[in-house]
Amino acid sequence: MATLGRREFTKGALAIGALAWLPAGARSAEADPKKGGVLAYATVSGPGGLDPHVSSSAVELEVIHNLFEPLVSLDNQNATKPMLAASVAVSDDSKTYTFQLRHGVKFHNGAEMTAADVQASIERYGLVSPNKGNLADVDRYETPDPYTFVIHLKEPNVVLLDVMKAPIFPFMILPASQKDKPSRGIDVIGTGPFKLDEWVKDSHLVIKRFDDYTPDLGSPGRDGYAGRKTVYLDAVNYRFMPEATTRIAALQTDEAQLAGSIPFELRDQIESRPELAIRQVFPLGGTYVIVNSQYGLTANRAIRQAIGTAIDIGEISEAVGGINKPNPWMSYPNTPYYPGADTPAPWYDGKSADKAKALLQKAGYNNEKLIIETNSNYQWMRSTMLVVAEQLKAAGMNVDVRIVDWTTNASHMQQGSGEWNLSTTLFGPEHILGPQQWRPLIYAFSNIKGNDALDADYKAFFAEPDLNKRRDIWVKIQQEVLGGGYMIKIADTGRLSGYAKKLKGQSDYAGILQLWDIWLA
Amino acid sequence: MWRLISYRVLQAAPVVLIVSILAFFLINLLPGDPAVVIAGDQATPEAIAAVRHNLGLDRPLIEQLGIWFWHLLQGNFGASLMLNQSVLSAMVERLPVTLSLTMLSLLITLPIGVLAGAVAAYYRRTWIDSAIMSLALLGVSAPAFWIAILSIIVFSVGLRWFPTGGYAPFLSDPLLWLRSLVLPAAMLSLFQIGFLARMTRSSMLDVLSQDYVRTARAKGLGEWRTVGKHAFRNALILIVTAIGILLSTAIGGSVVIEQVFALPGVGRLVVQGILARDYPLVQGVMLIYGFAFVLINLAVDLIYTLADPRVRYD
Repeated sequence: MATLGRREFTKGALAIGALAWLPAGARSAEADPKKGGVLAYATVSGPGGLDPHVSSSAVELEVIHNLFEPLVSLDNQNATKPMLAASVAVSDDSKTYTFQLRHGVKFHNGAEMTAADVQASIERYGLVSPNKGNLADVDRYETPDPYTFVIHLKEPNVVLLDVMKAPIFPFMILPASQKDKPSRGIDVIGTGPFKLDEWVKDSHLVIKRFDDYTPDLGSPGRDGYAGRKTVYLDAVNYRFMPEATTRIAALQTDEAQLAGSIPFELRDQIESRPELAIRQVFPLGGTYVIVNSQYGLTANRAIRQAIGTAIDIGEISEAVGGINKPNPWMSYPNTPYYPGADTPAPWYDGKSADKAKALLQKAGYNNEKLIIETNSNYQWMRSTMLVVAEQLKAAGMNVDVRIVDWTTNASHMQQGSGEWNLSTTLFGPEHILGPQQWRPLIYAFSNIKGNDALDADYKAFFAEPDLNKRRDIWVKIQQEVLGGGYMIKIADTGRLSGYAKKLKGQSDYAGILQLWDIWLA
Repeated sequence: MWRLISYRVLQAAPVVLIVSILAFFLINLLPGDPAVVIAGDQATPEAIAAVRHNLGLDRPLIEQLGIWFWHLLQGNFGASLMLNQSVLSAMVERLPVTLSLTMLSLLITLPIGVLAGAVAAYYRRTWIDSAIMSLALLGVSAPAFWIAILSIIVFSVGLRWFPTGGYAPFLSDPLLWLRSLVLPAAMLSLFQIGFLARMTRSSMLDVLSQDYVRTARAKGLGEWRTVGKHAFRNALILIVTAIGILLSTAIGGSVVIEQVFALPGVGRLVVQGILARDYPLVQGVMLIYGFAFVLINLAVDLIYTLADPRVRYD
């Protein structure tokens, strides 16, 4: 049996090297944190709900991760680290996971968290969460004492902890009283360092410091989503401001000290002020052209591969602007499943209209219409697809660009409905969390059906206990998905936020907004 | 009078019914799926299907319409999919913001618009008329979105007279309430002042050329009395009609203004509802708005009788 404690996790060798752009520990050199003050955060929109078990929206998760905590979480290096658990032991057959809980952890209602709460939370997750499929192999739960929680699986699952540490659809622990609450119907009670104070939909949401918060004293300091969390701010006021100009104006007038989602072209309005600064959050995700493998032209593998050959990543990045770094893979560099810069990726950045033309001819292309669908909501998506359209026209394709709204566009991609061949989207945490997190998205977005090679590779992946071998299988999967033209990787991308320089102590960790360990000078 | 009101309210029933059916089918005809919005951008088809089933969206459209009407008969407007609260309470929460904004905007619009139009008519074909009408044209033509952002840069960031956005309820801080609304209301008024000034000018010009105005002047009545009392009173019918239209456009215009100034009003709610394909919310708001527009028209008709005693409905 292997044990994951505060400092290390050996099972599955998930401990990984430091991310190049993340100083370890991440506490900046700014000394003398000051307690007190209310941080006003100008954000694009407010959450629809605060039920962690059903939430994958970044807007909701930005609040949720400050109110709730899971058993295990991502540390600063994106490895698994216990949060509400003190340690995790995994049996040799990977069928039994035993979580020892930290003692004395309080919920916002004052009650102590015990194994009964953990079991109730995980059981609720299994009922309401769209991600509940990851618990399909659970045989039973067990709580031998108030501080021990055991998951017994029917089948070995070497990546269960990777699933449980995911920041989307997070496995947050709620009081047992919430077990039967319907989806989005919970009382907002967590164990996190902040608790909900006031929420006026469409206007603002206030969270305030939870003074009875039980920090993880076994950690030296904050560590990704985990570690010892110290709250200096009295409260944080999320102000929902849909217009970027209004958010920037709020920052300029000190009505807000932090503003999210700053368009790249407006960064000068912040950087030109001595009291303000820009923060780059990178990598936020990877951008992809999605190819519908079940519709018309692009059902033909050779046509899909020809399309990939015509794509010039540099041109797209230039048109889109912002922070983009080329990366042919579906994992970020320095994450456990990254294949390495030397692994060949011949499908990436082909930028050859002539080669694409020849491949199209060979594939029997006869000027049939290729439909590109994009949307009016996100400029980067529109710009991306307009450039792709021109690149494909240069390769001799008959291209029809259709612009719909994002809801329609997303529905078509996620459900394989509508008439389209190419579209685009951004994927986020999957690049950190790995192939198990990618699987449903790969199949859904590219509308993959009946691909025996891919099915076999994934089956082998879940059965393989050795990380190095799993990484090799992941390379094969990507060769099939990207090389087979189901998706075309564009780049890893980031986003900008603006802040007042008096806001100190921000972490360089590129995760969802964390409001602990920061203060107003 | 009461008979008229009852009759007109009853007349509104089929209008509201048609509006509600149209609202239902129009929002449902839109491509896109609320389950996708709720389940998240990266949810799997299984997760989306589960959400669809939980929300009852996998039932036939006619069955959904029937259920909606059945609930409406019981006074239940349904529950918003994205907010997880009843449509009625979501609207009631946001109504004070939109009402404050539109009423304050009308308070700014009415005196300025009417006075500008009347002065332009009185000084017709002079530089005063040209100046007022040019400004009115500018007000009508300038995109609300652009002018609102410009106003934030000038009055909030530059001069620091007003907050950049947000709303303070009247009961919690009346002064802050006023400060938070003056700029958005003024920006909302720009279009309306231009529109009302042009309507008033046109109406006044028509009246000022009438025989009875000439007669009034011929018998030595002062200009103030001639224009202010006789001419203006007769021009009022068109002005009242214009105000009715303005109220409707103010509600429509508030959508953009609420978005730019981050005001949590009904307009912003509707935009979010449409983007999220929140069927019950959009249907409910359209139904209530439809009824409100019927009431506004009724109010305009009743005001006619006050403005012009010759107008009678009995």
